[in-house]
Amino acid sequence: MSPLRGSSVRWSLLLPLLLLSAVYAAAAEEFSFDASAYEKKPFEIGGYLQAKQEDFSLNRGGAFYKLGNVNQPQRDQLDRSTGTLELIGKLRQGIGTFDFHTHSDLQRDQSTHDHTNVLYEGAYSMRPDPGITIEAGKRTLRWGKGYAWNPIGFVERPKDPNDPELSREGLVMADADLIFNRDGPLQTIAFTPVLLPVGKDVNSDFGATGHLNPAAKLYLLYRDTDIDFAWQGQGSRPGRFGMDFSRNVTSNFEIHGEWARIQQFARPVTDNIGRVTNEVGNATSYLAGLRYLTEKDTTYIAEYYRNGTGYSDQEARQYYQLVDAAFAQLQQTGSCVLLPKALSLSQGSYGRPNPGKDYLYFRAQQKDALGIVYFQPSITAMMNVQDRSYQITPELLYTGVKNLDLRLRLLMLHGGSLTDFGEKQNSRKIELYARYYF
Amino acid sequence: MKKLLWVALCLIALPAAAAIDGTEILKKVDRNLEPETYESYRQLTDIQPDGSKKVSVLYTMKKGRDKVVALFLAPASDKGRVTLRLADNMWLYIPDVGRPIRITSLQSVTGSVFNNADILRIDYTAEYNVETTEEQKDAYLLSLKAKTGEVAYDKLKMWVDKQALLPVTIECYAASGLLLKTLHFSNVKDFGGGIKRPATLETDSPLYKGYKSVMQWSGLKKRDFPDEIFTLNYLPRVQELRK
Repeated sequence: MSPLRGSSVRWSLLLPLLLLSAVYAAAAEEFSFDASAYEKKPFEIGGYLQAKQEDFSLNRGGAFYKLGNVNQPQRDQLDRSTGTLELIGKLRQGIGTFDFHTHSDLQRDQSTHDHTNVLYEGAYSMRPDPGITIEAGKRTLRWGKGYAWNPIGFVERPKDPNDPELSREGLVMADADLIFNRDGPLQTIAFTPVLLPVGKDVNSDFGATGHLNPAAKLYLLYRDTDIDFAWQGQGSRPGRFGMDFSRNVTSNFEIHGEWARIQQFARPVTDNIGRVTNEVGNATSYLAGLRYLTEKDTTYIAEYYRNGTGYSDQEARQYYQLVDAAFAQLQQTGSCVLLPKALSLSQGSYGRPNPGKDYLYFRAQQKDALGIVYFQPSITAMMNVQDRSYQITPELLYTGVKNLDLRLRLLMLHGGSLTDFGEKQNSRKIELYARYYF
Repeated sequence: MKKLLWVALCLIALPAAAAIDGTEILKKVDRNLEPETYESYRQLTDIQPDGSKKVSVLYTMKKGRDKVVALFLAPASDKGRVTLRLADNMWLYIPDVGRPIRITSLQSVTGSVFNNADILRIDYTAEYNVETTEEQKDAYLLSLKAKTGEVAYDKLKMWVDKQALLPVTIECYAASGLLLKTLHFSNVKDFGGGIKRPATLETDSPLYKGYKSVMQWSGLKKRDFPDEIFTLNYLPRVQELRK
């Protein structure tokens, strides 16, 4: 029997549907939409204004507290208020666009009263063809697939793993984007060459001055997998190369990875009495991660990071012992021989947010928790695998008010003496911010 | 004699039944809803049980059967975000994050009852096979089955207006048979250029009781785009394509 004839005019089904359609048609009139208000304009500006309050529980016994507070009044608590304004704008003319991103903040706590004004991005770009973009200026490139860390982020300032989605200051460069699309298993090829000058007044924190550093990234979308190959030539920094990938194994399960090798990387390593040796060798870093979304809208992110330029548990211990020895020497003899060495090393690779060799990262976030729409609690854990010290960050985020984000989070650091998180400047931090977008 | 008459009637009826091809209807639904390559503006309104609303505005570009880009123009907190879909692959670009991250079809970038598969919808014929077609008084009822496990809804029941060959109602089911949501099309409008289609789509879901989301179209018109814009590298510059 034909299915068409089998239907035999099911009025009982169709009538309610038609009635419903009529009801929805009437309801549709409640809403009106005219797109003309959203036409592209020659000049656009937006951004956000943020008020943030942070309360630090200081870790008086920690190496980095002591180094950061030499000859300063000692305290257990610090309350910091920060007002931030970020402006993001575009000026368009013909095939060219000038875009900018500024960052200004005003910070106040018991010991300092400071303000910063930084141009995060400011670049002019031209698109002579949809597949070709050429630009010059200050630009933030973000390479890599990792959520908390990016071993192949060769031409960018490092991201803060405590707040990976925070905007960052870019670097002055000239770069281009060449995109080719094709049919077949290799769908997209995109090539991004970069030239990054380093001089006394330009990108001076990138590395040795007097170099025009070349770098490039090749992106491929091959059989539904994102693949990048990245390279940075020797210049202000040692040469390096690497690759990453990202792929959805199922529609709700993504895996990603990164691998990078830095050639002839010089790593200063100290012993506990301040004898520093420069160990030169190839450093390999890598990251493996996943992102999983459950049916109940819980997202899990997990990553393992091997930091090839980092310090082993034993090496880090030697440094923390050096700091202890430096302060003991200062107190007992008044001598400042070891302290400058310890301070100098803290401003280099020992003072990075993650100076260790092996880290685990885990984050779980729940959308619309407790039946409250736009309410997202989450918990993040980061662990130094070698010394077992860790940080746990519960967080509450509410975005239910138009253009307003409210975030409350508590950072709790755990670790004994001579461990990564046990020697940080703070043992706890409560942070609350309200961010209004305009 | 009765048997002979019955066989004869069946033989007469067969060509009429065979003339209605569900796949052809679905192809026409795809093209009647949108040209294969087009641009449009959409407003998404999410309504909570207490009546409060969140409104998002998106500029959308589609090319071929399975390439879609959507740029957020409002609210200010989402402005500049871009989503890209290439067949089963979906990415979200957030300006501050600065690089595209893979997202899934069942998530919702707006926090709406509409998920990413609804917001970045590609041709029905690209994702579904027609299993059965029923002719009703004013509508065809198409039962659609997802071609792969990657598709957001395993089955669809689509009621198609017989005259206009436009969808009226679509029920979306999980593989378990659970009704995930119902889509209601209404407010058929002439967009010009031969495009006459529903300008409003409302959805509700038994999983989100009391919540409702409404999608409205404006400025829908045929426009050709180069393939290069449907790539991750182009996402930060998508907004320059608007006229």
